[in-house]
Amino acid sequence: MSASLSESPELLKMVGIHKYFGRVHALRGVDFSVKRGEVVGLCGDNGAGKSTLIKVASGYHCADAGQIFFEGREVKMNSPRDARALGIETVYQEQALCPHLSIARNIFLGREPTNSLGLIDRQTMNTDSMQALANLGLHLRSPDALVSALSGGQRQGVAIARAIHFQAKLVILDEPTIALSVKEVREVLDFVRHLRDKGVAAIFITHTLHHVFSVADRIVVIAHGTTLVDMPTRDTTVDDLSDIIARGTLGD
Amino acid sequence: MQSVSSAPSTRPLRLNLANLSTPIAFIITILIFWAFSPGHRFLDPRNLGAMAKLTPDLGVVALGIGMLMICGEFDLSIASVFPLCSYVFTQLLMAGVDPFLAFIVVLPVGAALGLLNGVLVVRTGLPSFIITLSTMLFWRGVLYVASGLMPLSILPYVPTGSAFAELLTGQVGPVPAQILWFIGFAAVLGVILHFGRFGNWVYAVGSNQDAARAMGINVAWVKITCYMIVGLLCAFASVMQAARLGSFAATQGIGSELKAIAAVVVGGTSLRGGVGSMLGIALGVFIIQAIDNGLILLQVPVFGVNTFIGIAVILFVILNNLTNRQFAGQ
Repeated sequence: MSASLSESPELLKMVGIHKYFGRVHALRGVDFSVKRGEVVGLCGDNGAGKSTLIKVASGYHCADAGQIFFEGREVKMNSPRDARALGIETVYQEQALCPHLSIARNIFLGREPTNSLGLIDRQTMNTDSMQALANLGLHLRSPDALVSALSGGQRQGVAIARAIHFQAKLVILDEPTIALSVKEVREVLDFVRHLRDKGVAAIFITHTLHHVFSVADRIVVIAHGTTLVDMPTRDTTVDDLSDIIARGTLGD
Repeated sequence: MQSVSSAPSTRPLRLNLANLSTPIAFIITILIFWAFSPGHRFLDPRNLGAMAKLTPDLGVVALGIGMLMICGEFDLSIASVFPLCSYVFTQLLMAGVDPFLAFIVVLPVGAALGLLNGVLVVRTGLPSFIITLSTMLFWRGVLYVASGLMPLSILPYVPTGSAFAELLTGQVGPVPAQILWFIGFAAVLGVILHFGRFGNWVYAVGSNQDAARAMGINVAWVKITCYMIVGLLCAFASVMQAARLGSFAATQGIGSELKAIAAVVVGGTSLRGGVGSMLGIALGVFIIQAIDNGLILLQVPVFGVNTFIGIAVILFVILNNLTNRQFAGQ
């Protein structure tokens, strides 16, 4: 029994998730899953509950009811630290990086390698940072450059590189293409393809269906705190989905 | 495979220039006062010796304030924590406690007062400016009532030349002990800030505390620890000053809160957090002291010195902003 559980194709499985904020019933029994190495597009209008769902998956919020399974085992996540320990990394839109810190210091923030004196091992940090960025197809000149000097696309690259450097099995991308130029969007979508090539699963949250359609294997639409659509990308179209999202219901 | 263009190539050079603005300002300040003080008295060994004894009273505390401001918070309460620690020290001496033991007891008292500030700031979520303004007023009142504003001599317990007085206010060759303590604290805090993990967290919290939190950093703990460091340094400096003056005075520390911020800001630290360096902060302390002392040598009336310090702070901050804006590419 337990052997078959750990062989489960589902990397992350959330069952019947409920979340209340005071009187607001933000999630009303959502089921959501991600398979190993799969890119899932998560869509929905503002206030639909997708951010809340993602915050539950990344340990930021605790679900009020429901179960979460990771690699077939039920897990309890009380903080982002717990999620990271499992291999779930979240790249938040605005709060991902510290602009005044260097690229290397951002990538290793909270997990700085130290030498025998307990001081930060800059050599290791710099070399590994550049390697992690190169793995994503991002070639930046210096690990000492401040993040404030980077473009929006490059910043997303740094945040994603950080996630996969620490052996993430699942990367959650919260609106990674928001407020980016066309060229930068293309860069970020390339980063996501790099992720999939490495067998890392991803949840791609966005308002822009065109972005998610070009990289996602499956699309999930959330509305009013429940799952409205869950189907392979190839079985649907941008037009159909934008219609459903706008109406917030499947009905004709 | 698509590769993405790199950061601007002039970046490393620009960074170096930004880091150099405070040292350059420091050297120019020194040169001006050397050139214009009568008989170049500013760099006279006796004047340097006097400055080396005076500067660390505020300077040691300012080092901690600088670290706290890099993590994005303020502490105005040092103006009261400082004399309160001195008062506790004096009371312990009067109760017959050995000065070394009294000193060791006062350090955690200062840290505990810092802890209170930190917990209040973190728990209430109110601006630290307001919280520490309140604790400043609170402890000032407590101190005035407890001490009755009476100065107390500590000379009977810590005579000049005693081992304890020598430790904090003696000389090593021609060099006053105070300045060595200051340099020692600056070095230790500099290593923590620039080469340690904790230092990286301090910058991260000041730069973007949501990002720091999302990366698993205990933001509240980082802030509280910085407040405790300030409290500890306050306790240390207040005992050092009491040993130099030979007494406790309830008016110790008045005005130090703003002068410390001035020194830290002149040293290139951002009021919004995330930017600053320990070398810059230490030089900022020296610059403020040099202006203070140099103007008096230039026979500016003592009561008018603050006017010039005010002007200097504005000029230095404008200079820092200009360099930062240019270098941050904003």
